[in-house]
Amino acid sequence: MRAFALTVVALLLVATPALAQDASALRREIEQLRQQLQGLTERLQRLEAQPSPAAPPPAQPTPAAQAPSNPSTQMTPVSPTELARPRQPFSLYQQRGAGQLLFDIGIAGDFVGNLTQKNVEKAGGGTFAGRENRFFPREIELALFGQIDPYARGELRIESGEEAPGDEMTVHLAEATLTLMTLPYGTQVKLGQMRNRFGWSNAVHEHDLPWVDRPDVYRVFLGEEGLVEKGAEATWVPDFLPFYLHVLGGLFNGDNETAFGRGRINHPLATGRVMAFFDLTDTMALQVGASLANGETAERLRSTLLGYDLKFKYRPDGWLHPLLTLASEGIYSIRRVERGLDFDGDGIFDAFQKQTKNRFGWYATAELQPWRRWSFGARYDATQYPVAPGWQWAVEPYVSFYPSEFLRFRLAYKHTDKSHRDVSDLLGNGGSSRLVDELLFQATFILGAHPAHPF
Amino acid sequence: MVRRLMLFVTFAAMAAALAPGAQAARKLRVITTIPDLKSLTEAVGGDLVDVESLTRGTQNFHEAEVRPSMMLKLRRADAVVENGLGLDAWADVAIAGANNAELAPGGRGRIDISRGIEVLEVPTTRVDRSMGDVHPQGNPHFSLDPGLASAITQNIVDGLARIAPENRAAFETNRRNFLAKLEGRMAQWLKAMEPVKGSKVVVFHPVYIYFLTRFGLVQAAALEDRPGIPPSPQHLVNVIRQIKEERIKVILVEPWNDVKLANRVAEEAGAKAFVMASAVGAVKGADNYFAAIDYNITTLSNALR
Repeated sequence: MRAFALTVVALLLVATPALAQDASALRREIEQLRQQLQGLTERLQRLEAQPSPAAPPPAQPTPAAQAPSNPSTQMTPVSPTELARPRQPFSLYQQRGAGQLLFDIGIAGDFVGNLTQKNVEKAGGGTFAGRENRFFPREIELALFGQIDPYARGELRIESGEEAPGDEMTVHLAEATLTLMTLPYGTQVKLGQMRNRFGWSNAVHEHDLPWVDRPDVYRVFLGEEGLVEKGAEATWVPDFLPFYLHVLGGLFNGDNETAFGRGRINHPLATGRVMAFFDLTDTMALQVGASLANGETAERLRSTLLGYDLKFKYRPDGWLHPLLTLASEGIYSIRRVERGLDFDGDGIFDAFQKQTKNRFGWYATAELQPWRRWSFGARYDATQYPVAPGWQWAVEPYVSFYPSEFLRFRLAYKHTDKSHRDVSDLLGNGGSSRLVDELLFQATFILGAHPAHPF
Repeated sequence: MVRRLMLFVTFAAMAAALAPGAQAARKLRVITTIPDLKSLTEAVGGDLVDVESLTRGTQNFHEAEVRPSMMLKLRRADAVVENGLGLDAWADVAIAGANNAELAPGGRGRIDISRGIEVLEVPTTRVDRSMGDVHPQGNPHFSLDPGLASAITQNIVDGLARIAPENRAAFETNRRNFLAKLEGRMAQWLKAMEPVKGSKVVVFHPVYIYFLTRFGLVQAAALEDRPGIPPSPQHLVNVIRQIKEERIKVILVEPWNDVKLANRVAEEAGAKAFVMASAVGAVKGADNYFAAIDYNITTLSNALR
């Protein structure tokens, strides 16, 4: 028995180092295999990085997928140096098949018709001044957009439409922008000619608006087109807040003649916007924004616009569209103007006096879409004029019908009540209008690519 | 004062020196466009990732509302996992508004799981929108086909390993474990579906073609005559006739479809409409990848018997 025990102990003593040696050898072998596997994986990635003419193009090429990652940059925050490193710009295009376009093309057609009183037509006092009682193409837009390279995105929109009765159509550059998308610290820079992000509706093109016409407050304070400027804007999205905040600052020429008009980048129109978004529930959300635009008028006098915007949406779970949308925007204008003083009553100004005009306008709207194809809504507008005395209010109920996502018909009635008469002195036809009743019709289609709209 | 300043500088330098180590221990923040991919990314990433989905299973992924809150999630993310093939094209808008350089097109944080997938229903003729909301690159609803999980998870592993190469081995191990579990379940699912193999079903929207093909079922018709466009009465009449003639038992519906319409058609045709787990979280009890497939297998195998 003792001999057996001694034998077992002796065997264990001999076997333990042998087992340890085996385990060590096994570990080495596993390590070798792991290294081999890593080498093969890297080789496979390198091979995959080469374009294969036989392989079908992937849906969304991700060139970085083929690039072996640099271990020295693992899990470190994105540094400016890292962002500046080459990103294989051309592999974006190597993945495309022959004959494929490198950008998207979209066309939007927006036709508008309106019927109103004869006196309104004569006075040019309708929503579409000078085109009362006409059916016309308001905005036919050709949009080209896509990635320029891994760092930047480009967008070009050319518009044509009728601005006065007749056969002639005007073609103009609506937007042409370059957006730098790979800047550090949550920033982006957009430059070119653009619809400014002042409020939420100013940046929306005519055919995408939820109404036939732009709200009166925008038309009165910024002109029929709204604020469209040439310059640059930078945005910042902080990542440390519990809600989404979008901060924007921009410098522009100030070409908008209705509100500014100085048109010089050395006396720029400065814009700013802060927008916050709150998910109230899974189905309800609220967006709140404040905007600023400060520039000079053609008379070299200061003009400032302050704006607010609110938007609430209720979209029941699983719905393809919101059931209820509520929104409101307002603009407070502070403008320096020069007033002529005639002391001796001879009809010639003897002196000029500068004064400040503080004016306000706003609108509120509600839209109900109980069915996918039908929506009903109304908008109430009330606005003073930026310089002239008086004010106007309007109410506009409407109904929209969507045969599909890409086709829409809209019928609206708009009643406008002005505190004064629009008298057509220039036409000299004696037309005048104070109360305006209009029946508005809109048909809109989209061909090709059309990116989704945020909220 | 000088001593305090030196102390401060020393502490700052130490903190900076330790920062990479601290960062390396941080979990990867991954955003997925749809909940199916959240489930798969969690399976692959394990404890090394925190995953959130931009959408819920009860939503229609074709037309998700791009909320700025999505942009905030993407702003903080190390990577975004996308389905691709046009299903979640709206994510581009959310990503553009996130101001996150790593997720910009071409960035290393973009993970497209459709790479290498054998896509079904790829149009072989010229397509336009008169055909409805056609996907020119093929049917994008493949994420709940268990047979494709291997390819999908490989794409996720590769994507995550681009950002954290030191964790590739762990991701690979997680993936192998997941696939081993899936293999076991697949055997059970195939066995459950064996008796009903070859059965015909009608769908509301062509969401289940990968799943049906995998388990040997046949999609006989769709209530939508053109994808994404509400069905015309004439088409519904034809479908009802077909259901009656071919003795089809079930109509498969997603939670966001017009369930009342499907029920009316089913009643008229003598069939029954079933709301399926078209995605993880689409119906109660389908809270993860396995549970969603379990739900669909159970529903179909019982309904078709």
